[in-house]
Amino acid sequence: MSVIEEVFSIDLPVGEQFRIQRCRYTPASGETTKRISIVSGIHGDELEGQYVCFLLGEWLRANPEKIKATIDIYPAINSLGIDSITRSVPFYEVDLNRIFPGSKNDFLPAQIADGVVSAMKGSEIAIDIHSSNIFLREIPQVRIAKSQAQTLVPLANKLNIDFVWVHDAVTVLESTFAHAMNTLGTKTLVVEMGVGMRLSKAYGHQLLDGLLNLMACEGFLDIKPLDVRMPIQSHVGEVAYLNASGPGLFVPSIEHCQMIEKGSVVGQIVDPLSGQVLDEVIAPIGGILFTLRAYPIVYEGSLVGRIFGENE
Amino acid sequence: MKRIEILNFKSPNRAPLIVEGFLFGEESKGPSVAIVGAMSGDHINQLYVASRLVDYLTHKEEEGKISGKILVIPAVNTYALNMGQPFWPLDKTDINMMFPGYAQGETTQRIAAKLFESLQGYDFGIILEGRRDQGMCLPYVKLIKSGYEDLEAAKDMGMRFIHYREYSPIETVMLQYNWQLWGSKALSLVFGKNGSIDHRSSGEVHSALVRFMAKHTILDVSSFEGFSSNVIGPEHITLLKASHAGIFDSLVACGDTIEKGDTLGRITDALSGKKLEKIIAPLGGIVTCQYSHPLIFQNSIAFRIASLN
Repeated sequence: MSVIEEVFSIDLPVGEQFRIQRCRYTPASGETTKRISIVSGIHGDELEGQYVCFLLGEWLRANPEKIKATIDIYPAINSLGIDSITRSVPFYEVDLNRIFPGSKNDFLPAQIADGVVSAMKGSEIAIDIHSSNIFLREIPQVRIAKSQAQTLVPLANKLNIDFVWVHDAVTVLESTFAHAMNTLGTKTLVVEMGVGMRLSKAYGHQLLDGLLNLMACEGFLDIKPLDVRMPIQSHVGEVAYLNASGPGLFVPSIEHCQMIEKGSVVGQIVDPLSGQVLDEVIAPIGGILFTLRAYPIVYEGSLVGRIFGENE
Repeated sequence: MKRIEILNFKSPNRAPLIVEGFLFGEESKGPSVAIVGAMSGDHINQLYVASRLVDYLTHKEEEGKISGKILVIPAVNTYALNMGQPFWPLDKTDINMMFPGYAQGETTQRIAAKLFESLQGYDFGIILEGRRDQGMCLPYVKLIKSGYEDLEAAKDMGMRFIHYREYSPIETVMLQYNWQLWGSKALSLVFGKNGSIDHRSSGEVHSALVRFMAKHTILDVSSFEGFSSNVIGPEHITLLKASHAGIFDSLVACGDTIEKGDTLGRITDALSGKKLEKIIAPLGGIVTCQYSHPLIFQNSIAFRIASLN
C-alpha cells in the first residue's frame, strides 16, 4: 500500500506553506523498520530525479505484492526551488546541499535540512539523485568520498550506473546531505546524471533498473536481481578536466559519452561578434567523455568536459 | 595612492571584469593591512565603507599620515553588483566560497586565486562582510578559531562585540580561514543589511578601521578609543524565533539594551491583519541582530540577544 505524507511543513508569510512530502510504500503486512529513502530535488533545477521517482512509484503501484520493506520516495526536497527553476532555496539564495545536517535554531534553509534529516534518519539506505546542473551533462554515475568507499562502492555497483567516482574527502562536503546521512549510519549514495532543467528518459529508465536491482539485492523487493551493468571504477584510471581557456561560445565537436582519442578536438570556443574561432578544446588524454558542457556560454575556466582514461 | 589592477577577466559579451585595488604607503615604512570590500553583489554597505575609506586615505596620504602599507579592494564581484544579484551571474557561485582559489579551476576559483594572490604578505587582513541571511546586525568582529587567529588584534578594532567561535565546514573555503592559514592576521567585520546602506553602522565600521590602523602605526592619526570589546561565543546568544509567519514589525533597533518582558516585535497575519504574536524578551541583554525583511517565515530567527546570564 502507499500513503502520501507531509514530513516537514513551515508557514510562509502569505497564505502558503513550504512542505516536503513523501510517498511511503509498505508491505501489505504494514510498515517495517527496514527502510530505504529515494531522494531528489535538493537542488531546484535538477529534475532527472523527479522522473526516476515517478517511474519507481509507477512500478511499485503496479507490483505492491513485491514490496518487502518500507520504501520512501521524496521527489521534491526544495519544492520552492523546483517550482520556480531555482537551484538554491529561494529568498535566501542558499545551496541546501551545503548546510546539512541543518538546525532547528537557524534560518529557514537550515531548518529544512534539519527536517530532511529527521525524516530520513533510521533509513538503512538513501539514494540522493542529482542531475549535474544546467551547465553540464553527465553519464549516470555515483560519487563517493574515499573514506566511505569500502562500504558504499559495493552498493553503488548494484545501481546500473556507468561510473563510480571515488574522490578525496573535502571538508566543505561535510555539509552535504550524503555526508550527514552517512554519519548517522544511513548508507547514502549520490547519483549524478543528465543535465539540469531537463529530463533524460533513457537515464531515468537505466537508474530505475538499478534501483530495482539494489532493492532486490538488499531485501526491499521480492524479485530476482536484474542483470545490470558493471560501472567503470575511477581507481583504475584518471580523470582529466577540460576548462575553457577564454570566454566565448562553446560548440562541441562530438557527442557526450563517446570514446575519444588523446589529441582529438572536443569542441571549439568561438566569438559570435567577430566570427573567429578563438580556441579548440583538445583532449589531453584518451578515454570516455563522461561530462560535456550543455550550456554554451563560457568564461575562462568554465568546465567544458571531463574525460576518464584508464591507466595503461 | 596607486590604483592597481588586481585582475582583468574577459567576458563573452560584457566589458571585462576589472577588480581594482587602491594602494597607499610603502611596505618598508611599517606594518601592512589589506581590506577587502564587496565580494557579493548585495554587499552595498561594504562597498560604501570601502570606497569612503579610499577617499579618506587619499586625503591622509596627501597630509603625509600614512606610515605603513594599505591595500583597499572596494569591490570584487562588480558583475553581480551591476546586476543586483548576490553571486557570480553565470553560475551563481559565491566567490567567498572559493578560497584559496585554483588557478586551473572553474571561473570563480580562478578569480578567487588571483584575488588571494594579491592579498599575500600583509600583516593584517580585514574582510568587510555582509550577512548570509535576511538579517541586520550591530557591527561586530567575526573571528574564527583556525589556530592562527589573533584575538588581541581583533580587540584593537574597539568594536562592542567580537564573536569568537569554532569554524563550520563551509568556512574552510572562505577567505578569512584561508587568509589566516596563509599567515595574515585575518578577521571579518560583519555589519549592515544586504542591499542597503546604513550610515550609522558605516560610520562605526569606518571609525573602527581608522582606530585599528592608528593603533598598529599604519596610520599616523589620533582616534578615539572604542569599546573594550566583549568576546562572546554562541553560548552568549539567545535566539528568539517567530512562531508564526506573516508581516513582521520590529519595535527595537540593533544595539538596544532590553529588559526581560519587553516586547521586541509583532507579527500580524499578512491577509487578515489579525495580530498573531508578540515577541517578548525572555531575558535582558543587547539586541545584536534582527530579521530585516517585512515578511517573516514561521520559525525564522526574529532576534538574537547577547547576554551574560
